[in-house]
Amino acid sequence: MPIVLEQVSHHYRSGPQTTIALDNINMTIKDGELLALIGHTGSGKSTLAQHLNGLLEPSSGRVLLDGEDINQKGASRRALRFKVGLVFQYPEHQLFEETVYKDIAFGPKNMGLKDEEIDLRVKNAMAQVGLVFDEIQGRSPFELSGGQMRRVALAGVLAMQPRVLVLDEPTAGLDPSARDFLLGDIQRLNRAGTTVVLISHAMDDVARLATRVAVLEKGRLVMEGTPVDIFTQQEKLSSMGLDIPENFKLAAELRKAGLNLDKHYQTQELADALAEAIKGGGGDAA
Amino acid sequence: MLRDITLGQYYPGDSPIHRLDPRAKIILTFLFIILVFLVPSLWFYIPIALYLVLAISLSKLPLRMMLRSLKPMRILLIITFVLNLFFGTGSRELLRLGPIVIWQEGLLQALVFSFRLVFLVTGSSILTLTTAPVTLTDGLERLASPLKIIKFPAHEMAMMMTIALRFIPTLIEEADKIMKAQTARGADFETGNLLARARAMIPLLVPLFISAFRRAGDLAMAMEARCYRGGEGRTRLHKLQYTRRDLIAFLSMALMYAIILLPRFIF
Repeated sequence: MPIVLEQVSHHYRSGPQTTIALDNINMTIKDGELLALIGHTGSGKSTLAQHLNGLLEPSSGRVLLDGEDINQKGASRRALRFKVGLVFQYPEHQLFEETVYKDIAFGPKNMGLKDEEIDLRVKNAMAQVGLVFDEIQGRSPFELSGGQMRRVALAGVLAMQPRVLVLDEPTAGLDPSARDFLLGDIQRLNRAGTTVVLISHAMDDVARLATRVAVLEKGRLVMEGTPVDIFTQQEKLSSMGLDIPENFKLAAELRKAGLNLDKHYQTQELADALAEAIKGGGGDAA
Repeated sequence: MLRDITLGQYYPGDSPIHRLDPRAKIILTFLFIILVFLVPSLWFYIPIALYLVLAISLSKLPLRMMLRSLKPMRILLIITFVLNLFFGTGSRELLRLGPIVIWQEGLLQALVFSFRLVFLVTGSSILTLTTAPVTLTDGLERLASPLKIIKFPAHEMAMMMTIALRFIPTLIEEADKIMKAQTARGADFETGNLLARARAMIPLLVPLFISAFRRAGDLAMAMEARCYRGGEGRTRLHKLQYTRRDLIAFLSMALMYAIILLPRFIF
C-alpha cells in the first residue's frame, strides 16, 4: 500500500504573511522501501512527515493511502494514524505514564484492543527495540537513560504495529552506541516488511540505510534517487547547504587524484578497492 | 493547533506614544484612571473623550484594536447601564412602565458609569497595546525599586515576569508538539464528555510540566554560568531616560486635571 502525494502544497499564516512550507510535492512512497528525506533546516521535511498521517492537511493537493484520499470526508483519521506511525523528534519528551509498560500500551489501548492483545504487542515492541521486558516494564520511564527513553518512545509507536513508520530525526542527541543500536532496530524493522520514512541530517546513516533518497529544498522536492545517484552530485547538494557522506567524499577526492575506483561507495567496498588499487598499480599510484 | 493564540496585546509600532518612557506611560495611565473617577458630571466626559481620541490617533493604533479590547466588557457594560437605569431614584420622572420608573437622575447615573467603564478600559489598553511586555516589566521594576528599602524584591519580581513572558510562546509551541505526538498515538483531545476530556489532557500536561521544569533548570544553570546574582549592582543595556516627549505628556495630563478640577474651586 503505497502512499502517494499528489501536488501537495501547504501554506500557513503567521501574522500578515503567508509562508509556503510545501510547494507542489509529487512523490510515491513504495511498500517496503526505506526512504530517507533530507534537506536543510526549514526545508519542509517535518511538515511533509506530518502530512503522511493526517496531522496536517494539505492546503491543496491530495495524499493517497491505498488509493484513498486520507483527508476526504468520512475518512477515519484515527484509523489512519494506527497504520502510519509517526515518531517525532525527541520522542522521549512525550512519555507520561508511571511505568514503561503503561506508556507503550497507550497507543494500542487507544486502538481499543483487548488486554491480552495489548500485552502481546507491548512485549513484542519492547523486544523489537531491544528492551528487556522483565527488567524495564515496571520502571518509571523518567528514571531511564536518554537512549533507553528514546527506545521506549519508539516502542510506543511500534506497539500499534503501523505498516509505515515515519521517523523524524530519530538519532538526534544520542551517543554513538545508542545511535547505532536504534538504527539497527530501524533496519531490522524495514527488513521485516515495515515501510520506513527516515528524516535525517546524518548523511552517513542515510547512505548506509536508505534504499531511496529524496531531497527537499524550500518546500520543493528537488532530487530523488538512490543514495549513489544523490550523493555523487556533491556540488548540487552543497549549494543547498547539504553535506555528503564521508565515504563519498573520500571517493570523490581519490577520483580527483586520478584513482578511479569505479562505483565503489560503501565503506567496505571502497576500502577493498583502494587496497586493490594500491597493491596492483603500486608504482604509479604512489 | 495552538498556534493561533495571540499573546498579550502589544501592537508593534513607532508612534510618539510607543516611544514614551514606560514609567511615564504607567504613571500616566494611573493618573488617567484617577481622573476618570474625579469627573463630577456627564459634560466633563467631553474633554476626556477628546483627550483619549488625541492619544489614540497619536498612537496610530487601528480603531478595531481598541474596539476589540472593549469586546469582553460588553456584558458588564450592559449590566451596569441597566442596573443604574432602573434602580436609580431621583426627582424628575422620565418614563413610567407599570411598576418601573425611570428617573432622569437614573439615566444620567447610568451614562456616567458606562462612560467611566469605557474610558477606563480604553485608557489602560493604550498602555498595553503600545508597550512591549518586556519594556513594561522594565518600567514596573524601575518604579517599584524605591520599595527595595522595605525589602520588596522589585528586581526579582520583574525578572520573573520577564522570564514568564519569554517562555509562554515556547511552551505553546511545546504543547502543540506534544499534542501532535500523542494524537499520532491515537490520543483524542476533542471528543467525549468533560471528564473524558480532562483525562485526555494528562498525556499532554505531564510531559509539558516535565519540560517546563527541565527548561527552568537549564535556564537557572545558564544564568548562573553568566554570573547572575540578582539585581544588586546590576547595570542595564537600555537605560530608561525621560525625554521632552514625556514632559509634554505629563503637562497634558496636568492640563486635564486642571480642566476637571478647577470648576469645583471656582464655583
